[in-house]
Amino acid sequence: MSRNLLFRGSGAAMRRAAASRVALSGIALASLSGLGPASAAPPPVPAPTDTAAIPGQVKTGPPSFLDALSRTNYLLGDMGGLRTLLSRYGMTLSLQETSELLGNVSGGVKQGFKYDGLTQMVLQLDTQRAFNWRGGTLNVSGLYIHGSNLSAANLGTLQTASGIEADRATRLWEFWYQQKFLEEDRLDLKLGQQSLDQEFMVTPNGNAFVNTMFGWPMLPSADLPGGGPAYPLSALGIRFRARPVDALTVLAGVFNGSPVSNHSGDPQQRNPRGTSFPLNGGALAIAEIQFAYPSLGTMIMANQTEPLARTYRLGVWYDTERIADLRFDTTGRSLADPASNGIAQTHHGDYAFYAVADQMLWRAKGEPDQNINLFVRAMGTPDGDRNLVSFSLNAGFTFHEPFAHRDDDTFGIGMGYAKVGSHASGFDQDTGAFTHAFYPVRGAETFVEATYQYAVTPWWQLQPDIQYVFKPGAGALNPDSPGQAIKNETVVGLRTNLLF
Amino acid sequence: MLQHRRNRPGSGWLALAALITVAAAPGRAATPAGLLETIHRHKTLTSTVTDNGDLNPYAVFVAPVSAGRIQQGDVLVDNFNNISNLQGTGGTIIDYRPATRKTTLFAKLPQRLAQVPGGVGLSTAMVMLKSGWVIVGSAPSTDGTTRTRGEGGLIVLDADGQFVTAWTGPDISAPWGNMALRDNGATATLFVTMAGFGVPGPEVKDPQTGFPVTVKQATVLRIELAIAQGQPPVITGRTVIAGGFGQRADRDAFLVGPTGLALAPDGTLYVSDALENRIVAVADALTRTSSAGTGRTVTSGGLLQRPLALAMTANGHLLACNGKNGQVVEIDPVLGKQLYAQWIDANQAQTPPGNGDLFGIAMTPDGKGFYYVEDDTNFLMEASR
Repeated sequence: MSRNLLFRGSGAAMRRAAASRVALSGIALASLSGLGPASAAPPPVPAPTDTAAIPGQVKTGPPSFLDALSRTNYLLGDMGGLRTLLSRYGMTLSLQETSELLGNVSGGVKQGFKYDGLTQMVLQLDTQRAFNWRGGTLNVSGLYIHGSNLSAANLGTLQTASGIEADRATRLWEFWYQQKFLEEDRLDLKLGQQSLDQEFMVTPNGNAFVNTMFGWPMLPSADLPGGGPAYPLSALGIRFRARPVDALTVLAGVFNGSPVSNHSGDPQQRNPRGTSFPLNGGALAIAEIQFAYPSLGTMIMANQTEPLARTYRLGVWYDTERIADLRFDTTGRSLADPASNGIAQTHHGDYAFYAVADQMLWRAKGEPDQNINLFVRAMGTPDGDRNLVSFSLNAGFTFHEPFAHRDDDTFGIGMGYAKVGSHASGFDQDTGAFTHAFYPVRGAETFVEATYQYAVTPWWQLQPDIQYVFKPGAGALNPDSPGQAIKNETVVGLRTNLLF
Repeated sequence: MLQHRRNRPGSGWLALAALITVAAAPGRAATPAGLLETIHRHKTLTSTVTDNGDLNPYAVFVAPVSAGRIQQGDVLVDNFNNISNLQGTGGTIIDYRPATRKTTLFAKLPQRLAQVPGGVGLSTAMVMLKSGWVIVGSAPSTDGTTRTRGEGGLIVLDADGQFVTAWTGPDISAPWGNMALRDNGATATLFVTMAGFGVPGPEVKDPQTGFPVTVKQATVLRIELAIAQGQPPVITGRTVIAGGFGQRADRDAFLVGPTGLALAPDGTLYVSDALENRIVAVADALTRTSSAGTGRTVTSGGLLQRPLALAMTANGHLLACNGKNGQVVEIDPVLGKQLYAQWIDANQAQTPPGNGDLFGIAMTPDGKGFYYVEDDTNFLMEASR
């Protein structure tokens, strides 16, 4: 195995590449603070006839501001007859543009605004409507990523400011087939190229926010090879879903251990079109159990107060690939030691546990659209030697219909926390010791975010957003100001979503 | 279970013996108080999306006879939206055949139909007569809101799904809710709610509430039919038997107004008054010659959350689909008592789960379950034991 295979994730890969360079050269490590974009989850695209949906099961995909699409319409209507033509063959097409202008008005490596954009296209084929084969859905999605990334250019944060930040590209995203089985669709299998952020570790309330952390979380973004199979990447695999009883859903899958075949450099550049379909890595196994209440069939007695909806998820993942140590080389020396051979020790496998809770706290009497929800998502790994992030947490509140008659608006306030693993921090200590210069030891990064999703029309949404980041990069060095850590940042911006 | 055993003091051994007896006779269970507690399965039957992409299933009706392309027991479902997802523009009816689990297109009507003011947008009002004729309501619009609504009408189709005629008139405006029917073969009596009279677009707000303005002009129209052998039904009488119900525009559901009707064997008609969140009764619905106004309140509030379509169970209970939370509520209308509710659409994408997803409902032929539609996912579902 090439030692390059040990580098993982967009941010992680850059960090480790930088670490190796430093170990070899012993020069200042300015580039350590310049993290690449973490994987994220973009705003979900609702399919107008989502045949992959299974009534009664926990909705596993992120919700969208357009979840009420079944009762709304599109900007382009029938698209000049295209949608009707596709419908004849059992197909539906969704097209959504997300554009945003985000900037940091204080702190960071430097200040300024950046435009970022993402066009998502999802084409689904319902096999029953197409050729009377019941329970099958074929899904293909593509991404057109444009603009530039504020986090990489200005912020130097671990938890990137926007969930759509990625390298510019036009790429295939997901390509899978799902088949339902058994009465009541209690079992289904999904085969093909999949992005795990669409089904695993999802917090439906968290997806109202702009920051990456609320989509595909920080821990797998930083620790899984290639950042894990999540936006804008995906991996081949098989996913099993079962609903043994109405309230419980079990999700489990095995995927290629990495979304890219070669871990040197930026994984998005290693698979620039999303069409390399690597199968040469190890395996990533992931399992999640979901509890939802109320669920299909839940009874409510006449004198009973209607319960507040809740969904809880518990999960674990294990990746069999060999993972590089973040502090020591193969001889036991620190990688920051000028005498190091620069070749990191490796460890077999990596794993983490996670828990997600979404809980409605309050619902207006007679106006159930108006409600307040709490969400918490935590994940951790005991292996601080090989993981850049050993613990991540996000939590917050969402307030649907915060103003009367604004049924499709959501106000949210949330936070994210990412703790750097012990060996990554130790490497920083070693670097300071060996270079005899100021070098901040990374600890943890925290941000808070307030956002408001304003539905202008059923197909158009505006979302002003503000974020404040404490200890950007977990206290990383500012590459533009040697001897200083990156200062706390205020990020403001406006996102818009358009459904065509 | 709803029934409780109460032991006499000092009867511990008797209770134990009774427990053993019950355990030894698993087939014997307490008599259920209603239907919903016996419902444990919820099966997806078919997608209701048609070849032309029509969406948003509203009406559900089970064919009483075999005629033309329809077999007895087939489930007819209509679509309210077209492929652009504009409300009040759908013109298709599917036929799902439980025996073969096959779905076919039964009818496809053009959006413009000269005989129907405003065109075609098929609503929750749909029945099939024993003579084979299908009657379906149209509550049309052109932009998906009541701003462009037409008065609509009742469209008569033959058993092959072909347009025959349409009924319109000053007493017909947006035929909306599920129809109740007394069908004697050669004659039949239809009941249908009219929820369009004077309703403006959703942009016209009530300054007091901030909601679209409520217009209390919705009615229940009784239509008497004569059906000669081989001839389409002919209207022999039309009487407004109830009126003054609230109705208003709604961006998500097009209209909110009286939506559900169910006719009891004694001739009492039950009406779901969505805006007032209640079920009312109209006495002597088959014979009365005047309007009962908004009738007598049977039950209100409680588990009801914007009641929409109604169905009547074999033992005379009402099932009311809640528009706001994905539940169906079972009501004993004689006692005026709500028994319980069951979540039949718990789609977590809505808050609360299933909010805004339910509309039509119809009992299965054996009376042991019911069909319903999920308009968020465009599925026909079956709930059964």
